[in-house]
Amino acid sequence: MLLALSSPMLSHYLLTGAVLFVLGLVGFISRRNMIQMFLCTEMMFQGVVVTLVAFSAFHGNVTGQTFVIFVLTIAAAEAALALGLVVLLFRHRRTLDASAWSALNG
Amino acid sequence: MPTIADKLAGLWPEIVMLLGAVACLAAGLSASARTRRLTPWIAGGTMALAWIFALWTGIDADHPLGLGGVVTYVKCLVLVLGLVLLLVCAGVPEGLKQTAAAEGARFDPGLSVRGEFYFFFLLSITGVMLTAGATDLVWLFLALELTSLPTYVMIAMTRDRTVAHESAVKYFFLGALSAAMFLYGFALIYGATGFTEFGPIRDAVAVSSETGLSDPSPLMLMGIVLSVLGLCFKVAAVPMHVYTADVYQGAATPVTAFLAVVPKVAGFAALIMVLHLLGLDRLPEPVLYLLGAIGVLTMTVGNVLAFVQTNLKRVMAYSSVANSGYMMLGLMAGLGVPGNALGNGPAAVLFFLLAYGFGSIGAFAVIAALAAQRSPDGADHTDATGVADDLEYDDLAGLWWRSPVLGGVMLVSMLTLVGMPPLSGFMGKFFLIGGVLNAGFYGLVIVLVINSAISAGYYLRIAMLTFFGESSSAPAVILPEGRRGPRVVGAVIAGIAGLLIGGLPGNSVVRNAREAFEPVPAPASAEPETVQAAADESTASAPAVARSQAAGLADAVPTP
Repeated sequence: MLLALSSPMLSHYLLTGAVLFVLGLVGFISRRNMIQMFLCTEMMFQGVVVTLVAFSAFHGNVTGQTFVIFVLTIAAAEAALALGLVVLLFRHRRTLDASAWSALNG
Repeated sequence: MPTIADKLAGLWPEIVMLLGAVACLAAGLSASARTRRLTPWIAGGTMALAWIFALWTGIDADHPLGLGGVVTYVKCLVLVLGLVLLLVCAGVPEGLKQTAAAEGARFDPGLSVRGEFYFFFLLSITGVMLTAGATDLVWLFLALELTSLPTYVMIAMTRDRTVAHESAVKYFFLGALSAAMFLYGFALIYGATGFTEFGPIRDAVAVSSETGLSDPSPLMLMGIVLSVLGLCFKVAAVPMHVYTADVYQGAATPVTAFLAVVPKVAGFAALIMVLHLLGLDRLPEPVLYLLGAIGVLTMTVGNVLAFVQTNLKRVMAYSSVANSGYMMLGLMAGLGVPGNALGNGPAAVLFFLLAYGFGSIGAFAVIAALAAQRSPDGADHTDATGVADDLEYDDLAGLWWRSPVLGGVMLVSMLTLVGMPPLSGFMGKFFLIGGVLNAGFYGLVIVLVINSAISAGYYLRIAMLTFFGESSSAPAVILPEGRRGPRVVGAVIAGIAGLLIGGLPGNSVVRNAREAFEPVPAPASAEPETVQAAADESTASAPAVARSQAAGLADAVPTP
């Protein structure tokens, strides 16, 4: 038991990735602040990144790590877009609460 | 092993699109007003050129999944739909108050959005083409993001109203969630096999099922399931459909037409690729259950919710959800017997996308050419161009008698979407049902037919209103020539196309869709004639439609 915990194995990394992903998912659903919701999607991406790197080490090739570089690039592009959109909305109503935006419903 | 140069040689259409997009961006920021007005023409010319290149490049016989035909088909399909969508969208950035402000006495490039709009329009379509051509999970992920990211900006940019920004943010957040989801799926597929290239993944899956370890490994299944769930966002299918009505209503109507068609094509192209990693012919049972459940739920939820809506854009949004449900069933039907069009589910999906695309574009183009005169709740429903586009059923009352052209297009679009023979929607549903029946899913066919009957309730209500309706309040007015741009032309082309591909020209489209799944006979080096012949046949796709669109574009791009 102690031995299994002291030397990290693939499953530990995968579990870390999965926990990050699920925490992000739960946060996305439960949070109402737009910045926090956005950070939660970022956390989901990071969960995927951990998973990819772990698999990359497990398979002994660098494809997974290459994938990570592309994921980070897209995450950065999404961050830029998200902040732009959130600022646009903030200007209208001076709040970041997602429930304040419910003109469209039905 | 193909080299980089070989790969690039197959990407000429996308290279043309990217260059054209940059040209649009530059032209839209030009100091001379004359050059700026050329922007939509450049966008149209680029797509026409990319279409020629897509046919010229031909079918990739070395496609790792043997889906080279599908790649060419989807590229041509999205370019055809893109040309019609360009007609519908062409007046949008020009009509914005922001453009008027930017191009007033002195041109202010900081405010101008004209170039950006066409830039993002072309980029999104390039994303769909790259999605279809993907041979690697990394590539597929990047291409799907390239399809989505521009659409978020297009929604936020084309209206000054708060609801547009609200719907852009909603769309963005759910889009990011879905991206994370299919990305996790891709990561698990990589973990299960050790590869991101389609070819080796497929071989690894085949090996694991031959050795009888498990068919396929649970990790692989998990990856496929997560990818499918994430891609449901792109096609607006059930677990990820919640944004549809709000986003479609909040966006400017021409942009809504874009959203209803372009991401859906990307989503289904990606679904075909991802599912074919397991083999579309021998999908394991859990995946079949998943697709069946998504399909049934999607079409039922879509149709029932569409039935209770009164806002036309929301009705069409849920109609778009319902149509995704039909197509989901097509994906589980398997490839059938080679040479027999009836029974090939994914080929039916490819055809249905075209039929649905024209039906939807026609309906949205008619809505975009009208302006409501009343405001039901006193709120400001005008868009940035000062047009009230939140149309209700009553607004269409007697449209035929005021404008036979718009009324006629609305009628054809609705009948296409119902699936009335001899229109294209009938052919689409016919082949879908044929495929699902062939695969032996009789229960699903019954659900599909019942759902079609429900959908007739709201589609026919719209069709009847255009003829016999009497409005209690003032019905919508048709926008004057200067305000509506070439939308009516786009509507007419979509209507005619919807009519035509239900007839003889449809046969060649169906044949192309079916042949897309059959292996190309020989590699290019061995027998150049064979490949050429295959490429020529794909060229025949929608011949009449193609020509009428090319002609339509030349006539219809806005003249200053």
